[in-house]
Order: sequence, then structure tokens, then C-alpha cells
Amino acid sequence: MARIGVFICWCGENISRHVDVEKLAEQCAHLPGVRCCLTYKYMCSEPGQNLIREKIREERLNGMVVASCSPHMHLKTFRKAAEAEGLNPYLVEMANIREHCSWVHHDVKAATAKAADLIRMAVAKVRRNHALSPIRVPLTKRALVIGGGVAGIQAALDIADAGHEVVLVEREPSIGGKMAGLSETFPTLDCSQCILTPRMVEVGQHPNIRLYTYSDVEAVEGYVGNFSVTIRKRARYVDISKCTGCGACWNACPNKKTPSEFDFGMGKRSAIYVPFPQAVPARPVIDANACTMLTKGKCGLCAKKCAAGAINFKDQDELITEKVGAIVVATGYKLWDIGKEQENAKLAGYGEYGYGTYKDVINSLQFERLVSASGPTGGELRRPSDGAVPKTVVFISCVGSRDNAKGMSYCSKICCMYNAKHTMLYKHKVHDGQAHVFYMDIRAGGKNYDEFVRRAIEQDGAQYHRGRVSKITEENGKLIVRGVDTLAGEPVTIEADLVVLATAMRPADGVETLAQKLNVGYDEYGFLSESHPKLRPVETNAAGVFVCGACQGPKDIPESVAQASAAAGKVQVMFSREEITREPEIASIDERMCAACFTCVRACPYNAIERAEIRDRAGRLIKRTARVNPGLCMGCGTCVAVCPSKSAELEGFTEQQVYAMVESLG
Amino acid sequence: MTKQLHKVCRELLESGKVQVIIGYGQKDRGQPPHPVFITSPEEVEGLVWNDQCVANLTTYLTRKEIRALGKPAIIVKGCDARAIVVLQRESQIDRSAMVVIGMACNGVGEPRLAKCAACDAHVPAHVDITIGEAVSEPVDPERRYNDLNVFMTQSTDERMDYWQDELERCVRCYACRQVCPLCYCERCVADKNRPVRFSTAPTLKGNYAWHITRAFHLAGRCIGCDECTRACPAGINLRLLNLSVARAAENAFGYRAGLDPEAEPVIGSFSTQDKESFIK
Repeated sequence: MARIGVFICWCGENISRHVDVEKLAEQCAHLPGVRCCLTYKYMCSEPGQNLIREKIREERLNGMVVASCSPHMHLKTFRKAAEAEGLNPYLVEMANIREHCSWVHHDVKAATAKAADLIRMAVAKVRRNHALSPIRVPLTKRALVIGGGVAGIQAALDIADAGHEVVLVEREPSIGGKMAGLSETFPTLDCSQCILTPRMVEVGQHPNIRLYTYSDVEAVEGYVGNFSVTIRKRARYVDISKCTGCGACWNACPNKKTPSEFDFGMGKRSAIYVPFPQAVPARPVIDANACTMLTKGKCGLCAKKCAAGAINFKDQDELITEKVGAIVVATGYKLWDIGKEQENAKLAGYGEYGYGTYKDVINSLQFERLVSASGPTGGELRRPSDGAVPKTVVFISCVGSRDNAKGMSYCSKICCMYNAKHTMLYKHKVHDGQAHVFYMDIRAGGKNYDEFVRRAIEQDGAQYHRGRVSKITEENGKLIVRGVDTLAGEPVTIEADLVVLATAMRPADGVETLAQKLNVGYDEYGFLSESHPKLRPVETNAAGVFVCGACQGPKDIPESVAQASAAAGKVQVMFSREEITREPEIASIDERMCAACFTCVRACPYNAIERAEIRDRAGRLIKRTARVNPGLCMGCGTCVAVCPSKSAELEGFTEQQVYAMVESLG
Repeated sequence: MTKQLHKVCRELLESGKVQVIIGYGQKDRGQPPHPVFITSPEEVEGLVWNDQCVANLTTYLTRKEIRALGKPAIIVKGCDARAIVVLQRESQIDRSAMVVIGMACNGVGEPRLAKCAACDAHVPAHVDITIGEAVSEPVDPERRYNDLNVFMTQSTDERMDYWQDELERCVRCYACRQVCPLCYCERCVADKNRPVRFSTAPTLKGNYAWHITRAFHLAGRCIGCDECTRACPAGINLRLLNLSVARAAENAFGYRAGLDPEAEPVIGSFSTQDKESFIK
């Protein structure tokens, strides 16, 4: 027999102002199955919870409804209170009479009537609730980190330092990411490589980190705690167990004409190369498209020079399977290639700036390489076209950012800061040079950030023009930048030697394919979706998959690092237990009734339903059926909706419960 | 054609390739052909093929009693063959464990059935053996929906009145469900009683719920054999409902059921290329 307690909360005045709680209590006391009905000013407070516990004890309740706020707020609170008194937490329901009622309806009579309806529905539901217990799934205490930039490095080190094994997969030949190529970092102007490379070396030497560079995540199977990841180790043509990294090979390589990816095309590299001297691992790869031995079968000089015999022209891609329990995605960003040709018809590009046409129009990451001590010019600022030292440099902000018409509507967040940094670095290298910045707004929120921008303007004399640039043309070796200064209200034309475009930050190539493999959502720009923008910023809606760094949205280094540590922290919380417990409110299939059409298998957004066979003891097939994997199911109920025979059921939201709720209104 | 059919079937049974032939039999020319299940080579003379072979026999493929007879060979027309493609796609049959005999067909029924007027499958596709010759000509897609187009010229009120009159007659015998090759659920949603999803009594309300549910469950699946319409003792024009969902699938997703065994079914699959124009 149902013995249900109804507990109505005033929420101070939040509810009681527009809902007559006492009258409500009178009405609800007579609902079928209700044993007692009480009101209290703050049901979530300790005295409120004690009241609930007292009633559970006294009235021997076997179900309860708390009529208060959203279950998002306090369902856990009340379930814990019930559990402490020996009542199964899944026999607790909430009726949301605050957000769904008192906050939106201000007519007391009508609001009270609606609150009564909401409670009646919750009572009808809780009468059909079952006692449930959390689902336990085994856990592999190893983590996969995808992406070896600063975020991936930080996450990998944090997890590894906590004593767990980490598999770190990096697409490029070396870890380090974009940060390894930066010159100096805002707002302190400390050398980027000097602070990053020790962390890279730490990764390379860490006993708990297994590093796969020049590798991709090919496939991901399994579910939280039990992922099976296939990694494609691309052919490197160099046996890194034999190679000593001496450099004889890349010095000998006669083909030194390939634009360096690490220098964003500002310098050249050989066909066998390490991307930069501090690379981890400090072992070369052969670019199969550039190497004449691999393309035409001629040369082989590097192999002759290699004393260790590490060169292997017959190297093949290798597929490796790793078992992990958690995955951290840190795939980072790229700068938008804003030339005329765009992959998507919605994006028009910025052909008027001549990027890709004029050699001296470059993007900000290219500028970083030109002013970096490890860069192709050895840190001397020389422009790409003729090697001259530019005396006038124009920096343009928001190229492709905050542009609904033909670019991205979001702010790329870091450009205001690095533009200020670039003007300073420029001034420090070319004392008689003049830097100009075209900007829309200066966004310098952050510790010591605005001070940094003021320093660029006031101490290093950068000229800031608030306005956009309409066109760049080339005349007699000069770039004519035509723009407007909207504060002065007049057009501005600058004859520049070099133009640097702060193009929009976009997620790295291939992130959408990866997201699909991981079942992680992404937005229209390809940035990965976190589970909750405020309260679950590094979790995703795929259990056991976390995000950090610029793959989730534009971010600077401190933020990426903080987020990476947060993701690592979440992984450690997961790994602090021996097994994973999950909410039992998941789907199940009535296997007797399932017709095995497998529509649910196709429809399930989490790949949580599999095809199964029922066999008798002799192994004869009796029937086929769909079956839910409790480790993967997130309880969304899509299968319940698509099942033609309604053989799928969602625990805690069974059809009987939902129908009873609807019927209770009639 | 009948002689060739007998020869093929005899060989199939004699060689042991199949244990049962699902085909048409006929007492005499005046009576409509009925389904027969031939299990021995001596009985194959009982098989007939003529333009009165209206029934879609594929509905028997999923029946337990027929499955118990062993590996089947089945005689299909071009329209029926599409049901086999859908059954295969929905994992209901093992296509490699049966022989499908396709009969070239120039239309069936006296007078000719409505579906035959816009038939583009005179020669069955995805079959193992084809008997006879016919020419399949491409048909203007709109012609398939002729009846629906004519119906849709009426006002909403007129159409509502029409359905009211039609569905009032339904006695909930579920003949439409029994005859449908694609209604293979172990337990139909109409028979689920915890909770009862819609009234099982033959009232207008329950009848609406049943027929709309039936049509929706066939969305992107119905191959248009019109067997439900033929089987209905109350003569309800279910064909119109089926045409309506079939056209929705074709217009929104360019999908016609039963044409391609590899195609992703529209219900329960998602593509980033899907039109979103119907989401309002």
C-alpha cells in the first residue's frame, strides 16, 4: 500500500508569495496514497530535512514528493535525506512548483491550482516508482589524452603524477603544439619555449606516460571506464628505438625546400626533419611526399649517413589498441586561413586583405615565428618578400572574428592581448619602427592584462585606430592599408611594410570527425560542447570524455592550462574509485517482446544499444533482440520513443508512470 | 510462365535447396488464388501464376508456422519484392537462407489495382530467379501519388469528414495488421496493456489512434502493396494514409522503402544532410 509523504516548501517567499501553500497542503493531504502532507519555510534546510526524516520514520513512508524547486537544485539533497532514513532514494520525486509555477504565474488562485496539479502528477508517478540501485561498471584506471599541446601536456602530467598511466596521442611529429612556436607570452613577456620545453621533456621521460607522436586516433569503442582505442601510428620511416637524434640525416638531406609546418611556411625544412630543435621526441620523421627516395626511389643519403641504421624506407603505418577508462580531448585550435578559397559557402573569406597573394601580409602565428629566437630569421624581424626590416607594421584585429556577415560571430578572445604583445616585441626589435593596430574593441579582461595593453600604447608607442580596414593593395613594395578611425571620424591610409592579420581562432582540423568517434557534441563552428557552461565546464555529454583547451572555445594559455588541470582532476576523481557507479535511470529492453528491428540501435545517440542473440543451452538461436549496455546508456529515452512495439522502457520514467501522470490530470 | 515456374520449383525442391515453396494456388479460374505452401515436388503442379495473383505472400516469411517448414522459396511480384528488401534491412529474415522467385508482371486484379497504374517494377528487383519478361518503365513520381493529390484538393473540413466516415466503420479486427508483411512485432503496441496506449474498443477515438499509429509505424517502411486496403472488411481506404507518409519520406529524405538493401532507413537514422525545413 502506498504511504506517501508530501512536503511542500515555501522557499521563503519565492513560492509562498504566489502559491497558497497551506491551502495546497489541505488539498494534497487527500490525494490517494498520501499519508501526510506538510509545509515548511525551507525544506532544503537542515531542520526541513530533519522534518522529512522524522516523517519517514513515524509514518513508515514508502515514497515521498517534495514540492519545491527544480530537481536540478535539490533532488540529490532530498534523496540523500531519504536514504539516511532507509528509504530508497529513487522513491523520492520532486514537483517543481517554483520555476514551473510561482516564478511564472502571479495569480495566486491559478498558481495554487497548477501547483496542486503538479503535485498530483508527482504523487501518481511516485506510486509507481521502483526501488533502484546504482549501476556498477568496472573501471580501467588509464587515461587517453588526445593532443599534445600545452593543455594536453598539462592534463597528461597531472594524471600521470597522480600515479595513473596515460596514453598521449599527438598528430605532429613532436608534442608542444602551438605554444612551442610562440616567441614570448603575455602579460609577462616570458619566453614561451623556456617555460614549455621543460614540461615537454617531463612528458617524454615520465614513466607513467606512453607517448605516441605522428599518430591519430583511428577508432574508439566501448564506454566510460572501458574504452578500447585504436591508434594509427603513421609511418615515420625512422626507427626511434635505434635513432640517437644526432642530426646527421637531416644535415645530409639534399632536399631542403619544403615549407616548414612549424614555421607556418616562413622557413624551409628538409625532407627528413625534426620540427624544431627541442622536439620531444627529438627524433626525425621523413616526409613521404618530399623524400625523393620514397617518391622516386633515388637518394637514400640519410640512410648512408645514419650510423645507428635507424632509417627504414619500408616502414608501414601501425595500428595499436589501448584500453583506457577516461579520455581527455585537447586538440586545440588553428588560425583561420582567410584567403579567397573557403571550404564552406557560408564563409566568404577576406580576399580584400590579399592574404596568400601579397607575401608581406601574414597571420599572427607567422609573425610569432618571425620574432622568435628559434625562428627562421633567428629572431631578427625581416619581412618575407625581400628580407628588409619593416619600419611600419599594421596589425589588424578581428579578422574573421565577431563578423556575422562573412566570418565567425564569436570573439577569438586572445587577439587583443597578443596584438599588444606583438607591437611591444616589434618595438623592442625595431626601435625606430612604428606599429599600428586596427581594432573594434580592446578586450583585455584578466589579471595584469589591461595594464599590459596600456604599456604597449603608452610606453611602446603603438598607435591604436578604432576601426576596420577595408582594403589592402600593394604599390612599389609598400602595402597600402586603407581603413577608418571611427573615433577621429576620418579615413586612415597607412603605407606599411608588413601587415599582420589576427585571424579567427578555429578548432583544429578533423575535430568534428574525432567528436563523432567520441560521441561528443560540437557547435556550428566545430568547438566541442561541454556538459554545462558553468557547472560542468570540462565534462562532456559522453560519460568519461573530458575536454580542455582551445578545442572547446578560444582560450589563452593560462586558461587552457587551468582547464587541463580541471579535466585531469575530474579523471582522478573517477580513478579514485574501484568501479564506476552510475545513475540507474536508464533504458532497458523487454527482450521477450523485442521484434529485433533494431531501430533503437540506429537511433541511440550514445551507441548504447547492441544486437544480441538469445540461445538455448544447446546453442540454438531462439531469437534476436536489442540489448542496452548499462555502462553507456545516458537515459535519454530516444529508444523508448522510436520503439514501434514499445518494448523499450526507461527506469524511473516508465510508460506506466508517465501515463499515470497524464491521467491524474484528467 | 506457369510451366517454367513449375520446372524451377520442382528443381528447387528436388535438389533440396529449399524445403517449402510459398506460392499461389487456385481452385478454378473463377475463384481468387490463395496462398499455398508446397513441400513436395509432386505438388508443384498446384502452383498457378496469372493476373489474379494479388496477394503479397511475403507476410508469411516471418510467420513461425511457416518458418518451421524449413528453408523457403517465395514467389513475388515486383511490388512484393520490396517488402523482402525492407525485411532484410530490418534483420527480420536471413536473405541468404531463401530463394526469391520474381514474376514479371503487367498488373494484377480485375479491374487493375490502383497501384498498378503507376508501377515501375514490372520486373522484380533483388530476386534470385526471374521468370517471364516485361518492360519496367520509369514512372513520373507524382503519378504514384495521384489518388492522394486528388484527395488533397478537398478542404481540411471535407477531409476530416471523410476520415470520420471511414474510420467510424473500423471494427478493430486488425486484418490490416495481420496481412501487412512489415507488421511483424511480437506484441503489437495496440495489444500492450501496461499501460493501455489507446482505446482498443472500436470507438472513433480509439480508431483514429490505431490508424494514425499504424501509418506512422510504416512511415518510410510501407512499400505500397495495398494489402491492408484489400484485406479491410470495412473497406477503409488505408491506401491514402500510406501514400501520405510515403510521400513525406520521399519529399523530406528522398527515400523510398524497399528499393535499396544498403540504404539507411529513414526512421531512427540521422544525417547532417537531412532537411530541417519541417522543424518549426
